[in-house]
Amino acid sequence: MKRRSVERQMVCLLMIMAVNLLLACDRQEEELPAVAEMRTVKDDLGREVRLPEKVTRAVSLAPSITEMVFAAGAGDRLVGVTSYCDYPAAAKNIQKVGDTQSPNIEAIIALRPQVIFVSTASQLEAFATALEGQRAAVFVVDISKLDDVPDRLRRLGQIFGTRERADLAAIELEQRVAAVERRPRPERPPRVLLQISEADLFTIGRDSFITELVERAGGKTVTADIPGGYPKLSKETALALDPEVIILSDSSDNRNPNDAMKNSSAVRSGRVYRVNADILSRPGPRLADALEQLATLFSQEPAGN
Amino acid sequence: MKRANYIFLLLIAGLAAAVAVAISVGSESVSVFAPDEQGRAILFDIRIPRVLLGACVGASLALAGASLQALLRNPLAEPYLLGVSNGAALGTLIAFVLLGDVAGARPVLAFAGAGIATFAVYQMARSKTGMNVERLVLAGVIITTFLSSIIVLLTSLLDAARLRGYTFWLLGDLSQATYNGFYMTLAAAVAGTIVLTSQARALNLMMIGERDAFDHGVEIGRVRMIIFGMASMLVGTSVAASGSVGYVGLIVPHIVRLVVGSDNRLVVPMSAFAGAIFVVLADTVARTAIAPRELPVGAITALIGAPLFIFLLRRS
Repeated sequence: MKRRSVERQMVCLLMIMAVNLLLACDRQEEELPAVAEMRTVKDDLGREVRLPEKVTRAVSLAPSITEMVFAAGAGDRLVGVTSYCDYPAAAKNIQKVGDTQSPNIEAIIALRPQVIFVSTASQLEAFATALEGQRAAVFVVDISKLDDVPDRLRRLGQIFGTRERADLAAIELEQRVAAVERRPRPERPPRVLLQISEADLFTIGRDSFITELVERAGGKTVTADIPGGYPKLSKETALALDPEVIILSDSSDNRNPNDAMKNSSAVRSGRVYRVNADILSRPGPRLADALEQLATLFSQEPAGN
Repeated sequence: MKRANYIFLLLIAGLAAAVAVAISVGSESVSVFAPDEQGRAILFDIRIPRVLLGACVGASLALAGASLQALLRNPLAEPYLLGVSNGAALGTLIAFVLLGDVAGARPVLAFAGAGIATFAVYQMARSKTGMNVERLVLAGVIITTFLSSIIVLLTSLLDAARLRGYTFWLLGDLSQATYNGFYMTLAAAVAGTIVLTSQARALNLMMIGERDAFDHGVEIGRVRMIIFGMASMLVGTSVAASGSVGYVGLIVPHIVRLVVGSDNRLVVPMSAFAGAIFVVLADTVARTAIAPRELPVGAITALIGAPLFIFLLRRS
C-alpha cells in the first residue's frame, strides 16, 4: 500500500517535471520577440544592446542624458528621470525614480521601460545585475569630450526614430561650436582655474570634459595635468599657480574664490566669473551655451590694468 | 622618574622635529629660510597654521583617548570608536545646516554633540557588575552607526554641491586650517593637558578598582564628570576644526603605555605630545603623497589605526 503510493508520487513528480519543462520551452519562445522587431545598437562601452525597433518607454538616469533625449526630439518617450533632471522644464513633470547615486530599482521596473540610459560604467554594474531577467535593456552613454555630444544626439535620434530632429540639433550644436572657434582670440590663452567648491577647493583635472571645454573656448586650465576628473587641489599649489581668470561653477558652496587665491592676478584684476553649474557640469547639448559664455569671458580685458 | 624625564625631553624634541619637517615640505617647494613673497604667503597663510592645527588636534584626541581608556578601564575606549567624534560631527553638521556658518556655533554644538554621545555610550555600557569590554565596544558601535545614519540622512537633505566637501571633511581633513582654529584647539589642548594630568592620580586609583579609589578619598562621580567633560570638549573643538580624525586616541596612548607603563601621571601628558607628533606626520603624508592633490588626514590615521585596533582586540 505504502510502496504503491510512493510509486504514484514519483510518477506524479515526473509528470509535473515534464510538463514544467515543456512549459519552460514554450515560455522561452514567448519571451524572445520575433527578431524582426529587435535590433542591436552599440553603446559607449561597446556593448551590443538589443533594443526594440520602436522605443516608446525609456528611463534616463542622468540629467545630461535627459537633456540629450529632449534635444534629440524624444522627450515625450521618457517615462522616468532622476530628481536632478530639471531641464528642460518639461522634465520636471516626468516621474522621478530617485537621484543619480541611488535610483530606486523597483520604481524603475514598475515603469516598464524598454531601455534604461545610464551615464557611467559604475552605475551600469549596479543595474545590470539588478535588472537581469527584466525586459529593459541598459544603454550606457559616456561623454568625455565636446564633440561626443552631436554624435550621441544623432545616435539617440536613431534609437528613438527621431532622426530629423536629432540631426538638426546636432548640426546646430556643431555650428555654434564652430562659430565660437572662429571668434578672434586673445594672443595668449589666459591661465584659468575652474573652482568647483570654495572651502575645500575641488577643481577640474586631466580627465574632466570641462578641461577640454575651457581649451576650446580659448583658455588654458592651470590644472590640466593633474590626474583624475575632479581633484581636491592643495591650497599651496593654488596660490603658486596664480591664475589670471577664475571661473566659479556657480552653486551654494562656491560663491567666492578660495582664500589661497586672494592675491592672485585673477582676483586683483577682477577676472573672477560665475558660470551656471548645470550648463558647465552636464555633458549635454547646453555645453554650447557654456562654451559661448567661457569664450566671451576669456576675451574680456582685465579691469584693473 | 629619571627615565620619564628623558622620554619627555625626547617627545618635546620629537615634536619640534616633526613640526620642522612638516613646515619644510608641501605640494610646493618653498625655501624656509629665505622665502620670496609667494613663499612667505604659502608658509604663513597655509602651511604653518595647518601644521600647528594638526599638532593641537593630535594632542587633543590622544588626551581624550588616554583619559577615557583609564576611566573606563578599557584599552579600546577611543573617541572615534565610542561615537564621541560622530556626536561632535553631527553637532557641527547641525550648526552648518541650521545656522549657516555662524562663528562659534560649530565648536559649541560639536561639544554638545560629543557630550551627549559620551553620556549615551556610558549609560548603555554600564551594568550592575561594572563595565566590560564587549558591552562598551558594542555600545560604541551602536551609537557610532546610529549617529552615522543621522549624518547620512542630514547630508542627503543638503544639496549635492555642499555634500561633496562635507564627506571629505567628515573623514578628517586639515586643509581648511586657520589661525583661529589653531588658537581654539591650542587652548583646549593646553587646558586638557593640565586638567587631565591633575586627575591622573585619581585615575590610577580608579584603575585598580572603584572601591579602592573610594577608600583613598577619590570622589568618583566628580572625576568621571571632569573626564567626560574634558574629553567632550577636546573632541568637540578638534572635530569643529578638522572633522573626525579617527584612531589617534586609540594608537597613541597605547604606544605610550608600551614605553612607560600604565601610570597615568605619565601616560596622559605624554600622549598629548605623542598625539601631536603622530597627526603632524600623518598630515604631512596626506599633503604630499599625491601632490598637488590631497588626501584626508583621517584616511592616513585609519590606515595605520584600523589594523592595530584589530590586533589589540584579539589580544584583549
